[in-house]
Amino acid sequence: MASVTIRRLSKVFDGGVQALHELDLEVRDGELLVLLGPSGSGKTTVLRCVAGLEEPTTGDVVIGERVVTHAPPAERDVAMVFQTPALYPHLTVRDNIAFPLELRSVADAQIARRVLEAAQRLGLESVLDRLPAQLSEGQRQRAALGRAIVRGPQAFLLDEPLSRLDAPLRIELRGELLALHRALGATMIYVTHDQTEAMTMGQRIAVLHEGRLRQVGTPEDVYQRPADVHVARFIGTPGMNVLQGRGRGTGEEGRVIEAGSLIIPVELSTYEGELQLGIRPEFVGLCAVDKGVGNADVLVVEPLGSETLVHLNAGGQSLVARLPGFAEVRVGTRVGVKVDRRRLYLFDAAGAPLA
Amino acid sequence: MSSRLWAAGATAAATVAAVLVLVVVTTAQRRYERAFALRMAATTAAYVAAVTPPPPPPPSPRRVPRGRRRAAVPAPPPPPAPAPQSPAARSYDLPSLLTQAHALRTLPGWSSDVEVYFGTAPLVDATAPPLSPDDLPHLAAGGRWRDGAALVPLNDRAGQEVVGAVAVRPRPVPHGPLPGGLGFAFPAAIVAVGAAATIAFRQHSLRRGGYVGAALLLALAGYLDVWAAARQSTDRWLVDTRRLLTEAATRLPPPRARVAITDLAAMVRDGEIVVGEPAESAPRRVRIDGEQRAVVAVLIGPGRWIELRSVPAEAEAPKWLILLLPGALLGPLAIMALRWAERTPVRSRRETVMAWGFLAPAALHLLMFTVGPAIYAIYLASLANFRALVRDPLTWNSFVTSAAYALYVPISIALALAVALAVHRYRERGGWGRRLVSVAFLLPYVSSVVAIALLWQATYHAGSLGLGRPDWLSNSHTALLALMLVSIWAHVGGQMLVFLGGLDAIPQAYLDAALVDGAGAWRRFWRVTLPLLRPVTWFVFLTGVISALQMFTLVFVVTQGGPFPLHATDVVVHRIYRTAFGPQALGMASALALMLGIVLLIFRWPQLKLVRRQERHA
Ligand SMILES: Nc1ncnc2c1ncn2[C@@H]1O[C@H](COP(=O)(O)OP(=O)(O)OP(=O)(O)O)[C@@H](O)[C@H]1O
Ligand SMILES: [Mg+2]
Repeated sequence: MASVTIRRLSKVFDGGVQALHELDLEVRDGELLVLLGPSGSGKTTVLRCVAGLEEPTTGDVVIGERVVTHAPPAERDVAMVFQTPALYPHLTVRDNIAFPLELRSVADAQIARRVLEAAQRLGLESVLDRLPAQLSEGQRQRAALGRAIVRGPQAFLLDEPLSRLDAPLRIELRGELLALHRALGATMIYVTHDQTEAMTMGQRIAVLHEGRLRQVGTPEDVYQRPADVHVARFIGTPGMNVLQGRGRGTGEEGRVIEAGSLIIPVELSTYEGELQLGIRPEFVGLCAVDKGVGNADVLVVEPLGSETLVHLNAGGQSLVARLPGFAEVRVGTRVGVKVDRRRLYLFDAAGAPLA
Repeated sequence: MSSRLWAAGATAAATVAAVLVLVVVTTAQRRYERAFALRMAATTAAYVAAVTPPPPPPPSPRRVPRGRRRAAVPAPPPPPAPAPQSPAARSYDLPSLLTQAHALRTLPGWSSDVEVYFGTAPLVDATAPPLSPDDLPHLAAGGRWRDGAALVPLNDRAGQEVVGAVAVRPRPVPHGPLPGGLGFAFPAAIVAVGAAATIAFRQHSLRRGGYVGAALLLALAGYLDVWAAARQSTDRWLVDTRRLLTEAATRLPPPRARVAITDLAAMVRDGEIVVGEPAESAPRRVRIDGEQRAVVAVLIGPGRWIELRSVPAEAEAPKWLILLLPGALLGPLAIMALRWAERTPVRSRRETVMAWGFLAPAALHLLMFTVGPAIYAIYLASLANFRALVRDPLTWNSFVTSAAYALYVPISIALALAVALAVHRYRERGGWGRRLVSVAFLLPYVSSVVAIALLWQATYHAGSLGLGRPDWLSNSHTALLALMLVSIWAHVGGQMLVFLGGLDAIPQAYLDAALVDGAGAWRRFWRVTLPLLRPVTWFVFLTGVISALQMFTLVFVVTQGGPFPLHATDVVVHRIYRTAFGPQALGMASALALMLGIVLLIFRWPQLKLVRRQERHA
């Protein structure tokens, strides 16, 4: 196992699309790092640069002590599980898993032993002689993992390996993957666009947005202390409410922020002018009209059982409130909005946090 | 549809099919019996004409007693008769005719009842109804079937005028080997219907295979019966004619003590008579010059044997399969249709029926212009033609030549694949280069074969290939090779395009995965690309071989099958073309085409399966 370090990595595709901007990232030896970002943020591109399938435009990729920026994939000794399943359709599961070993001219007996080991680990013994088309989606994904682990590579690159599975299976395999990680002590970069998955799996999460690395930290870090407005918006289900506001010094209660129809008092001493106000849905409450920091129209009500999400329109700003249980709210009515003042996040107009 | 109703429908369908087969069998049997009777009647008429003397000359109406006729040597003029014979002189001596006719009745071993009419009057059975006066002129046009008897004209001795008639009514003989003369078809029909009924009523899910098997068995049984009837008709004629010949040998009028074979041969115009060896009296089947013949040995005098030969009717019997097979298979087809109707919801049933309605004109067209001619070709291509073909070295030469020519396909495929790989790679770098290369390779593919052929003919003749050797086309060793080169050149483009499509269809992830797993370019090609291209490769290969085996234009335009006399480029289709304009044209050409068709089918079958699998995956 080895660490993976990415230094000032940029990638500009032939068409002129800049997928990555000056990325710096270190994945420690034996760590499972989750690379999280919305679709199109460049996650796959990062993995492909690490694997050697794409050549970075600038910057370096280091695996262990070796700079491999321009080395061919075969020399990097990393294993990758692809977003689209890449089991060879003409080979049985056994042959698929054995494939990387055969390429390395490992002795037949050893291949057989290691394939069986990997299959046992993943519960694939009974389907070893089937073709990929004869497997369930979950078995297929396991077989793809099998092909990755059989070789004991320096690092694993997992590109949304579970995104094609249904929810229960995803949760099951997630657990297995974590167990696998612990058992192998492997260095893994796990790519996902599902922030719940990221929160449950990652020791550290790296949040990617529009080709830029926004934050690297523990799940708690990225949730509690988002590095910028993009991270804030992306983490959490639903993500943080971000209102466009303007700070003002006048007001009966001192300084306030006006955002749409809301006027929120803040303890902000220095800032005036355009800013962005973040507040998580769980800290938004509803009350009688004119009793809160402003009024809003109810657009949509989503009862989820344990909680209810209420989508509001506060003078042109959209806002989500998360209420416990089944809330008695009618669509189309006007309600008052409360916010927990201690839980506000303030960002400047560009999205950087205001301390 | 309720299951009982369905079962009843299935049984009814099976019954109709069985009845249809029985009708075909009975019709065929009757046909063969009539054929026998007509043939026998004609032979009998010839016999009567041969053995009956003319009426005595009017001046001295002296009857020659029969016993003395053979020994007496008065040598009256009959054979080289004075040219202008009066109709009366050409006719027969009535008392002799009467005797001959009666003698026929008592001929031992004859399997028919015979009646001889002189004018319209019956001679054998005086109480039988006479012919109507209209009958004789009608008969002049040929024999016909009337009231269960074959009626043929009895001409006068010069064969100019109809003076009477011979009627032959075949006595019924058992048709089949089973007790009561029962054939196989009837029991088989009962079995088939029974099978259908049991399968349909006992369990709902019909094992179609079972009934198809029973139906095929029924067709086979019917065919056996028809075949037996055909064989029987030939055998009966041989046996009965043999009796007539023996009789004729003793009765032919003097002066010749030894009857001439040519005289006997005149009696059996649709048979053949040769000097023979002593043999059993039962008809046999022998091969003469590679052709099947039914023969029987006839003793015509002390130690004198002849052999009576006839084309066996059963050689023609397979044509009845054209009726028998569809008839028998109608049952399973109807059952499948019923089954389909039962399983299919009303709406899709209606839609399917409508779809077939729209397809009907096309299907009819196909039937008339493709299936019809194909069946006709099978009909034309009788076994005799096949036999002749198999013995013709040119046939084998053409198949070998075609096979050798088809060897260009693997070469062009390898080339096409290589070019496709290069273009595919190139495409990843930049756009219009690929298009340019594609066009360069496709140009020959879309050009007219004739144009290509002429172009290359000129090229080869000019010897301008830079190879210094003049004209490969007139050298027997290189002509085919030269054509193969042209074909490679012409086909690489199209094949490359198909491969390019196949390459584009391979998900990049497979190759990326191999790359990460550590495979170099060579291994990626052999272990990933090539296996994933296998269906495409098969398709290109099979299509290529099929079109190679059907190649005609190039040979027709460039070499006409030469250089001769080795027929170095005489491929099968060209041979068919040549045969079609030779002697026995159509039958031989059809047989050859059929042979090619069977070979093509061997390649077409997997190709269709491949296409179908592709469709299922898409
Ligand atoms: N080969 C390519 N050529 C040009 N642009 C590309 C190429 N591959 C990716 N891109 C662009 O780079 C950006 C990042 O793509 P990438 O595949 O890394 O996103 P992702 O985060 O993996 O998204 P997803 O979650 O949908 O897989 C996208 O805007 C994409 O359109
Ligand atoms: Mg991706």
